[in-house]
Amino acid sequence: MNALKLFVKRRCPNLLISRTATTKKKIHDPQEEEKLPIFQYPISKSSDRRVYVWGLAETGALGIHMPRRKKTGKKSYRNNFSFVWYPMRSSFCERFDVTEIACGYGFTVASVKTSEQHKVFGTGINTDSQIGYHAPRIGRPLEMLLSPAPIYIPYKSLETKITGLAAGRAHTLILTDNEGVYTLGNNAYGQCGRKINPNEEYRGSMASHNIKSLGKEKIIDICCGQDHSLFITESGKVYSCGWGADGQTGLGTYDNQGHPKAVKGDITSEKIVKVTSTGDCVLALNDKGELFGWGNSEYGQVPMAKNQQQVNMSYALVNFTKGLGKIVDIAAGGSFCLICNEYGDAFVWGFGLLGLGPNVQHAKNPTQIPPPLFGRNEFNPEAMVTKVACGIGHLAAITNNGDLYMWGRNRHGCLGLGHGKDQNFPLKISVGAHVLSVKCSVDHTVAMCKPFT
Amino acid sequence: MVKIKNAALAYKTLNGLICVYKPSCVSVRQVQHTILTNLCRDLNELPDRPLEKRVEIVGATNAPMEVKLLPNYADDPLVCGPRYIEKDFRCSWATHLGLFSSGILLLGINDGTKLTYQLNVARLTRAFKVHGQLGKATDTYFWNGRTMERSTFGHVTRDKIDRIVAHMQAAHQKSMYEVSGLHIDSQTTYDLASQGLIRPANSKLPVVYGIKCVHFDPPNFTLEVQSVNEYEKYLWTLIHDLGVQLKTSAHCTGVQCIRHGKFDLQLALLRKHWKLEHIVDNMDDCRQLLEENENLLRPKTAKLTV
Repeated sequence: MNALKLFVKRRCPNLLISRTATTKKKIHDPQEEEKLPIFQYPISKSSDRRVYVWGLAETGALGIHMPRRKKTGKKSYRNNFSFVWYPMRSSFCERFDVTEIACGYGFTVASVKTSEQHKVFGTGINTDSQIGYHAPRIGRPLEMLLSPAPIYIPYKSLETKITGLAAGRAHTLILTDNEGVYTLGNNAYGQCGRKINPNEEYRGSMASHNIKSLGKEKIIDICCGQDHSLFITESGKVYSCGWGADGQTGLGTYDNQGHPKAVKGDITSEKIVKVTSTGDCVLALNDKGELFGWGNSEYGQVPMAKNQQQVNMSYALVNFTKGLGKIVDIAAGGSFCLICNEYGDAFVWGFGLLGLGPNVQHAKNPTQIPPPLFGRNEFNPEAMVTKVACGIGHLAAITNNGDLYMWGRNRHGCLGLGHGKDQNFPLKISVGAHVLSVKCSVDHTVAMCKPFT
Repeated sequence: MVKIKNAALAYKTLNGLICVYKPSCVSVRQVQHTILTNLCRDLNELPDRPLEKRVEIVGATNAPMEVKLLPNYADDPLVCGPRYIEKDFRCSWATHLGLFSSGILLLGINDGTKLTYQLNVARLTRAFKVHGQLGKATDTYFWNGRTMERSTFGHVTRDKIDRIVAHMQAAHQKSMYEVSGLHIDSQTTYDLASQGLIRPANSKLPVVYGIKCVHFDPPNFTLEVQSVNEYEKYLWTLIHDLGVQLKTSAHCTGVQCIRHGKFDLQLALLRKHWKLEHIVDNMDDCRQLLEENENLLRPKTAKLTV
């Protein structure tokens, strides 16, 4: 018995030794490899797009709830989430070739490449018919859509293409290539560009308004603030309509405006290429890369000599942004502004979580966010910020490598960091594709991406 | 090259760091063993100290005695064995290199073992050349594994590799905040992050700081990876992941460490030079390099410098 034990004891170390890694080449049967099939994985086309969504899903703004065919189970929806903490691929955008996307307050609209009637789809809150009239039963319009549904727009020709979308608090603008702009939703302040009717009922409204041209010129770009709308025409003129209590229409008054009128002030002689607004402050960029602004200036977004808090006419911010170089992209948030210049540096000013660390709440002048935070370091010295975007309380920047960085107030997980805590400085968002553009809203974010392969 | 006169002196100078080139398929322990046996061999060949003498007092005790100095055979190498054996040396590595990796290996000899400990704690970046091949995936992620899958790779271009690799790099740099041991909401984190890259706090998780494609000739390609805390298998999996992202499959064909902190390939001793005089020379060079770059051993901040 003892001898057997000894024998077992002695055998064990030998076994262990024989199991250790060998330096000899392990050559497997080459026949076996030859027998394996050669797979060909599907590769995306260069026109393919992927759309990632995250943030508050309860309103249906993400359009991820998928109805089940048979309602035998407990839940009538698949993906019945309240919050989406991490970027999630939108299955709607897998099925259609989505070209444009806009995020409103609790709703999302997306345009699809097609020559049929249904070119624009909407999902989310629909209290003011901002995403069209949807009634499964006659006379009972839906106030919330959990999955995307087509919006009926009376196009003159089905060949019309959608070239732009914009969404505000409760209105939507749809820009077409040769039929002008269609507006939908709430017009209580004239943000839809038509006459204000104080008794109008917006819930379950089927109304859509068409603005063919402004000043006999074609409209080439649109933008929605909270309750106002801005239009850029071919010659670079800016028109606006809607809520004007903070001067955000830039018409020289604080009144609401029904029909779009040309913005007054310094930009009348400039060719504007981009205008941006999320809340009630507006920034505009001309073709020379100079900055203009108007609207709310409570936190010094559009600094005036007399500490004026409502700026009702456009002012040039050339002196304010002196020494920053040519400005490439602009974004205006609820209480702050974010710009990036041709060298790929991002600058921020205003109030809030600006990305300048936990100790900085307020920046009077454009302050550069340290470029290492956007991945510019010794291993990647060419990282540049090329695009910026702002929601009401959160900010986003896209680098030339297609990486998305976000920071700010993390309302309902709209930063996509996997938690609900605020973020003090830019952090990369884990999106598994090359990000082309990002749309921020109050509580959700949508990123349009291109697959790597 | 210094002329070594005497084995005892030479042994005394053997206190420090050496930088050797580890061939692949030779384990680090084997490298250590070879170097130490070579050192012993070379030391034993050097002129030895004179033999100890034995004192013998002979003669009658009641008469004046005679004192004789005789050779002490107990001290003769033919009796007591060679003067220097492997056990006389302490030896340790700064960071481990896997069996199938080749490249720079820092070894501490005798008092140099303290240096290797400090280098290990300082967590210097290492640069690797990781060679991969497209079209085949193996169970071990390395070329010697069993083939699990074959796939086409005609669609892969340099541009696509570059884009994915840049994305992987950015994704890895994000994980640097998690392993830095800093609270993400603190001002300290912000100050450090705005200066650049941060070193990890411990050696548990690998952090990749830079990935770059330096060579592409389908199906073969080479990545240059700069990282801390990585290990051989981790680098293999990087190649595998890249293959998955590229919509094909890939396996690693070789890993070469080309830089460790400031120690580069110029400094590394090849296997044919693992001899006493070269090792003493190399030890001098390494000492100089460490004196010039004090922060290699004792970094003052968590900022990544090399």
